[in-house]
Amino acid sequence: MSEKFSATLRIGDLNDFIAPSQGCVVSMKSGSARLVDNNKPKKLAKAAPATKTLETDPVKISLKDCLACSGCITSAETVMLEKQSLDEFLSNINSGKTVIVSLSPQSRASIAVHYGLSPVQVFRKLTTLFKSLGVKAVFDTSCSRDLSLVESCNEFISRYKQSRIDDTKESKSFLPMIASACPGWICYAEKTLGSFVLPYISSVKSPQQSMGAIIKHHLCQSLGLRPSDIYHVTVMPCYDKKLEASRDDFVFQDQADQMTTEVDSVLTTGEVLDLIQLKEVDFSNLDESPLDKLLSNVSDAGNLFGVRGSSGGYADTIFRYTAKTLFGHDIKGPLDFKTVRNSDFQEVTLEVEGKTVLKFALCYGFRNLQNVVRKLKNGKSDYHYLEIMACPSGCLNGGGQLKPKSGQSGKDLIQALETAYNENVLVTDPFENPIVKQLYDEWLENPGSEKAKRHIHTEYHPIVKSITSQLNNW
Amino acid sequence: MSLLGEEEEALKLSEVQTLKGHTDRVWGLAWNPATGADGVPAILASCSGDKTVRIWQQQQQQQQPQPQQRSCSSPSFHCKFRIDAKEALVLTLRFSFVLITTEARELLFGKQLATASFDAMKMLSLLLEDRHDRTVRSCAWSPSGKQLATASFDATTAIWEENGSDFECVSTLEGHENEVKSVSWNSSGSLLATCSRDKCVWIWEVLPGNEFDCVSVLTGHTQDVKMVHWHPTVDVLFSCSYDNTIKVWAEDGDSDDWHCVQTLSESNSGHTSTVWALSFNVTGDKMVTCSDDLTVKVWSVDIVRLQSGDIHASWCHLCTMSGYHDRTIFSVHWSREGIIATGAADDAIRLFGESEDQSVDGPAYKLILKKEKAHAMDINSVQWSPTGNRLLASASDDGTIKIWKLESMQGTLNHSSPNTL
Repeated sequence: MSEKFSATLRIGDLNDFIAPSQGCVVSMKSGSARLVDNNKPKKLAKAAPATKTLETDPVKISLKDCLACSGCITSAETVMLEKQSLDEFLSNINSGKTVIVSLSPQSRASIAVHYGLSPVQVFRKLTTLFKSLGVKAVFDTSCSRDLSLVESCNEFISRYKQSRIDDTKESKSFLPMIASACPGWICYAEKTLGSFVLPYISSVKSPQQSMGAIIKHHLCQSLGLRPSDIYHVTVMPCYDKKLEASRDDFVFQDQADQMTTEVDSVLTTGEVLDLIQLKEVDFSNLDESPLDKLLSNVSDAGNLFGVRGSSGGYADTIFRYTAKTLFGHDIKGPLDFKTVRNSDFQEVTLEVEGKTVLKFALCYGFRNLQNVVRKLKNGKSDYHYLEIMACPSGCLNGGGQLKPKSGQSGKDLIQALETAYNENVLVTDPFENPIVKQLYDEWLENPGSEKAKRHIHTEYHPIVKSITSQLNNW
Repeated sequence: MSLLGEEEEALKLSEVQTLKGHTDRVWGLAWNPATGADGVPAILASCSGDKTVRIWQQQQQQQQPQPQQRSCSSPSFHCKFRIDAKEALVLTLRFSFVLITTEARELLFGKQLATASFDAMKMLSLLLEDRHDRTVRSCAWSPSGKQLATASFDATTAIWEENGSDFECVSTLEGHENEVKSVSWNSSGSLLATCSRDKCVWIWEVLPGNEFDCVSVLTGHTQDVKMVHWHPTVDVLFSCSYDNTIKVWAEDGDSDDWHCVQTLSESNSGHTSTVWALSFNVTGDKMVTCSDDLTVKVWSVDIVRLQSGDIHASWCHLCTMSGYHDRTIFSVHWSREGIIATGAADDAIRLFGESEDQSVDGPAYKLILKKEKAHAMDINSVQWSPTGNRLLASASDDGTIKIWKLESMQGTLNHSSPNTL
């Protein structure tokens, strides 16, 4: 199963493809051995608040233990199977909780290509399917992505201005700003690259976690529910998203002192296909339900809204916004991205009076990632923004997506996915999203406000290699 | 090959010098390809568990030997020496060098050998005193001989350039998760490959200004990758591993990335234990591999197909030399003139040559020479000098490097011009 993670994660931590039982550095024994592990007192308290049960019950390694450890990442798989699986999802549907599903646009494109449907049809049919199982609402993460994009634009402008004002050495950490939506990249940066790169990474949460924050911190109140009453599931193109959902940073204590997570479970596109097959659903002929407009931005004609770029459109959106806001250039139509080394490394620049004022790059896949990181480390990077994604071809090619059919090349599939991704999508400025506007009006006040920082921004933590994980290398 | 026919009994491997200086086991050796001919003194780099790389240079003899004794194509080795003020240790080493002068050699080996006229090597430069934190496992000169790449257990690869009397680290390649085991330049010097215990093989493109761009990160081996080596004429990369396989990597024009195009494993007559090293013959149509399974295997390819750009031209098992080794074979190297040398854990050096009496199955190779107790401990590397002067360097766990000369008992081989061999 380890091959399902993004290559970056696999490469970055390929010390040991092992299950925890075989050689995990976190002790699996119940009781004292684990309690004295100085690295993880915090995790322990969270994983098992009642110490007494800890002594009697066998202790399990949680996904969080794996995330906090600098050892193998792939040990997480076995843990993940338990916490983030289809079975777990199905058992929670009838647990009395309000189940909400948030669908990523990349997953919809993948299923659309698989069945020869349009992404909107897939959205409607999945709504029918999930609701038939007892799910209360199905939302679109491209709606919460607009919120992430607005916050990212705001963060970029402030970093760009600071880098101009501040001539001191610290100003070097303002730019380039690096996209934070890819959990494979974040994990690699924290575990392998360490502290030098983390200040460059945008503090804005990914669309998945923004959706989680909206639902658990805001929507539940308007619905009169406690956060812990809601079981929030996302459908993502990527296995690494399961790791993201399990981060400590996305766990909070609600008013009733309950530990709650923004996203309770992540299903990959492939697992949704498994669900369709498990329930023996004739998906192509399934009824199409109306979409839940509460957190899905849908036009009356049934179109969805989005931005250019199948990996979230971060570079595209921030480039346009900055060109307009700081330099008065209102760019219409697609940006002029130029391929640098390969199709997964593209640059776009803005020149004002013969001077390059903006230089952005899309940088997908491990090898391209290495080169920009290398430049950054050597002080030779002149980029202002980097949209780094761990997977070659970006999110449409995530490890959780449906595999090519027999006879179909990977390249052909990506092409088909790109086409499907843009189908039924009206390109619109995220600032114009009425749902986002409403969220600011009712809840977050302004982009970059204290409230926005608390709910839509996060932090990154360098993970120091422990001696035990080093020893495990042998 | 005529010299291996009737005359094979007449060959001997004579030790011409022991290079002392490393304070820990010596892992790797690299002859500078731009030296050792046309009057340019040969240069050899060695790397060690003592975290240093040492550069040894053959020195022209101070005393002009008699014209008939002097063989310009086989200059002797002396060693220039740079004293690093930081290194008191190095200062003491200065006095431990064995300088073999012509006179001394004549005294020791008789006149016959003196015609082989070997100038002692001397340490020219000491690198990496504070660059690598751990063992330097492998080193490789660029084809131009201007740059030296060093791979270390500290997970980095360093690129060095001669700067006057000194070597300067001009670039550091990071990315491997842990110990880098081997480094190799392609034939044009435009690409550099590294491999690591992290099971990955990385390919870097060499750009102007000592910039290196990562071109590909190749995953496929399931264990520690012991060695990477480029084909001598075509940009196809070979790696061998603790997973008992040899993998062939080539660039796929379609996706502009590199892929594994062939895996040589037990199922296609490959090795049954760790593959430690590989080497090519001069034309590149044959490859030799050595293993912990105590065998040496020779593989062949349709070189015309390969050179015409068909990266899928497959490598086929040609023959296996078994029964010759009883301990792990760590190193194998094919000389320009067709002699395969092995260095093994039994401290011996063995030489194999293509047999005259070919069997119906194709060429056979036979042991033509075994040098017992070549070193006091395991031999980690054997490297023929690239100039065809029949010099072989060996590196050992005993901390020494030895320079050997392959010659005939009668010295007849040296009367002909060694360069034509």
